[in-house]
Amino acid sequence: MRDDRVLAERVPKARSARLFFMTVIGRAYPRIIALKREKSWLAFDILLPLIGVAAYVFVYRALDAPEAYIGFVILGGAMTAFWLNVLWGMSSQLYWERESGNLVLYIMAPAPMMAILLGMALGGMTATTLRAGVILVLGSLLFGVELSVQAWLPLLAVFLLSLAALYGMGMMFASLFLLFGREAWHWVNLLQEPVYLLSGFYFPVRSLAYWVAVLASFIPLTLGLDAMRQLVIPDGERYGFLPVSVELAGLAVLSVVFIAAAKFLLDYLERLAKQEARLTESRK
Amino acid sequence: MDGLRRFWFGFKVGAWLGWQIESNWTDPFLFAVYSVIKPLAAAAILVVMYAVVSRNAFEHPLFTYIYLGNAFYMYVGGVLQGVSWAVVEDREHYRTLRYVYITPVSFMAYLLGRGLARFVITTIAVLVLLASGVLFLHLRLDWAAVNWPLFLAGLFLGVTMLAFMGLMLAGVLMLTVHHSWFVGEAVGGALFLFSGAIFPLEVLPQWLRPVGYALPITYWLELLRRTLVGSTARAFPTFAHLETPELFALLAAMTAGVMLLGGVVFTACERYARRAGLVDRVTNY
Amino acid sequence: MDRQDWAIRTERLRRVYKVREPGRKGELVALDDVNLTVYRGELFGLLGPNGAGKTTLIKILTTLLAPTSGRAWVLGIDVMEAPHRIRPRINMVSGGETSGYGLLTVRENLWMFAQFYGIPSPVAHRRIRSLLEQMNMLDRMHTKLSDLSTGLRQKMNIARGFLTDPEVLFLDEPTLGLDVAAARDVRRMIRTWMAAHPGRTVLLTTHYMHEAEELCDRVAIIHGGRILACDTPTNLKRRLQREAIFQIRTGPMNGLNPQTLERLPGVRRILYRVTPTGVRLDCYLEDEAALGPLISTLTEHRVRLEALEKREPTLEDVFVHMVGHGLDEGEGTHAG
Repeated sequence: MRDDRVLAERVPKARSARLFFMTVIGRAYPRIIALKREKSWLAFDILLPLIGVAAYVFVYRALDAPEAYIGFVILGGAMTAFWLNVLWGMSSQLYWERESGNLVLYIMAPAPMMAILLGMALGGMTATTLRAGVILVLGSLLFGVELSVQAWLPLLAVFLLSLAALYGMGMMFASLFLLFGREAWHWVNLLQEPVYLLSGFYFPVRSLAYWVAVLASFIPLTLGLDAMRQLVIPDGERYGFLPVSVELAGLAVLSVVFIAAAKFLLDYLERLAKQEARLTESRK
Repeated sequence: MDGLRRFWFGFKVGAWLGWQIESNWTDPFLFAVYSVIKPLAAAAILVVMYAVVSRNAFEHPLFTYIYLGNAFYMYVGGVLQGVSWAVVEDREHYRTLRYVYITPVSFMAYLLGRGLARFVITTIAVLVLLASGVLFLHLRLDWAAVNWPLFLAGLFLGVTMLAFMGLMLAGVLMLTVHHSWFVGEAVGGALFLFSGAIFPLEVLPQWLRPVGYALPITYWLELLRRTLVGSTARAFPTFAHLETPELFALLAAMTAGVMLLGGVVFTACERYARRAGLVDRVTNY
Repeated sequence: MDRQDWAIRTERLRRVYKVREPGRKGELVALDDVNLTVYRGELFGLLGPNGAGKTTLIKILTTLLAPTSGRAWVLGIDVMEAPHRIRPRINMVSGGETSGYGLLTVRENLWMFAQFYGIPSPVAHRRIRSLLEQMNMLDRMHTKLSDLSTGLRQKMNIARGFLTDPEVLFLDEPTLGLDVAAARDVRRMIRTWMAAHPGRTVLLTTHYMHEAEELCDRVAIIHGGRILACDTPTNLKRRLQREAIFQIRTGPMNGLNPQTLERLPGVRRILYRVTPTGVRLDCYLEDEAALGPLISTLTEHRVRLEALEKREPTLEDVFVHMVGHGLDEGEGTHAG
């Protein structure tokens, strides 16, 4: 085909859903291919976190804690991977995209920003899932944690709804990067440890005061982790904060709210950023 | 410019720039919150874990052991991160790595200087943690009984040792791509397991303990505990056979070793990066 | 012409930036009362020095920046009301910038951007091959972006602009920093694309006069955020036909100030440039009669005359006429 014809080749107008899907694949690609091209992630993303989680296991060992607590740490450690992926692999990634000049190209493209963010998240999800899996499997084997799934369907529902709400929340944070640069990056960084604490990554959330736990339930991982522990760890129900069915309903509400809020904030802050000339400005 | 001047200028400008970057906040309130909330939340995780299992037995020596170990361990993540992250930040974000690299100042000293700002911020966090422990959690810290000269000397040795460990990591980062998370903190998190920071080494399986004994961080934390709460620290058997001066001498020797090793590893990585053309690449993905 | 023929239109467009420097608060007017119409199928040039407002105008038209007041339409769609309807139909390339990820190859980066526009992979791959061939970089298709030279990265960025077959393509200083051969490739690419796609529109900003002269159907001269003139290069140059333009090459000026020459009767403006071999004076005279006193003054100051040439007006002359100095002021140029 002649060059000019190649460029003019008619392309059917992509429907919204198709464009969304193509964008997700397009933005996920660099993350996936990076796994093959840059092996250093294996050390930084799998080995080091596994060792880090082990430290908390030994704290419980030093305290002669009941064995169920070891299971809590392993499960919490595995879910940490998703929280970190949301924070550093998606939300704050827009900070780097802005600095490298790609953000304006994303904004200018017809692709929805949510699809680009989801692409980043799903691209990073391969490594994240592997990290979570390794922590769960190796951690259980090394520390003799007994996991027994009592009901697969609720477990799957809890897991998926937790992720949906979590990534919706991550997209809300990402919207801040359309307006702010380093300031937003610091705000996101500020969330890391407090969420570890409030979501009960390393202890049952009911150990916190009741109202603190209720407030912490607005973080999707709090309810998600608590429900998963009840469904996976024998005797887990004894340490549960709320019944699984209530937590499942809570997660469903949070998913809808966070995803809708993310869409609203991404649109709103993009408009604001355009007025304030922040989209193309590198705020180093 | 002679060697010492190159080092001093590199360190000075690195420290100045590090502080400009770290303190470049639009809101001083956020700066304060940031320096305090993150470490307090991290410490609170351990406090809750301890409280849940021990039923609030904060007067037990193990609590002091864990609390102090965790507080000072913050220097590990902070300094490792501060020194090593400068490579990624200058290369990928500010795109100035190449320009700094070709100046006559010592690049190694520049990176060490960049870590100084994080050291200062971490110090604020450590002080806040210690104060919170004493005020709210019955931390057994008797300021009058502290061996201050030894504490300060130990702190200086430890931070120097950490800075050179950070330099090793910086060398490695010159060869790797920009991953989305903080490598310094990740390495710090992993070393948490072996350094006896939050539980005595005896809790580890026999076959893992040698790693802890080989780490200078383990000796450093033990020395700091002894200078701050002598009798409590001695309640744990890990280094019971070592007198405090012996511990200090060992730490000094290990620090010297780390400095040597850090210089060698960094120089080797830097040379490799130059040969492979990696000094100024942008790798964010 | 009919509204349907407008590719771009602006009405009283104004953009003011807030200055947020420590110790200094204020406003910076980047665009002021800009009224512009670019027709479909046109290759339209925006000529102006750095800071003239070219990039601000492009940002507004590409939906990246909101105007402070006034309105702008691209392909008949208001940039503020329906940016999502404009985006699938336009693209933009900023010279001196790269896009994409260093870890990906040229082909992978371009494919990724094609996905953001919903272009199916087989079509995208065909287009990528064709574009890289035209840009003379087909052999670098599988090279990682991080391993490319700056010029090749920029060429890839330009290929990205054409990849989506936009109805309006915004090229912001596309040849900035490119070497002569690469810049030529880019200009050829633009011409070929325009010839093959008669309905497509290009808005090109540049501060290279010859580039605008060579490529553009019409040119707008922008300075200080205002459009000073807008016409075809030929018509713009015609405005200077009543002036006599001479280029004089001399040795050192021996202390003679170009402003002294400008005060001579009949001399409108002198553009002074130091060249590696001496001095070049571009003299804009009311008529040829003013040349005599000018030469006399030079010889009185023992300035060695090396060459004298009467020449036709160029776009640069038009710019000097309108703005009062050359585009490259500050780089050895003095305008009186």
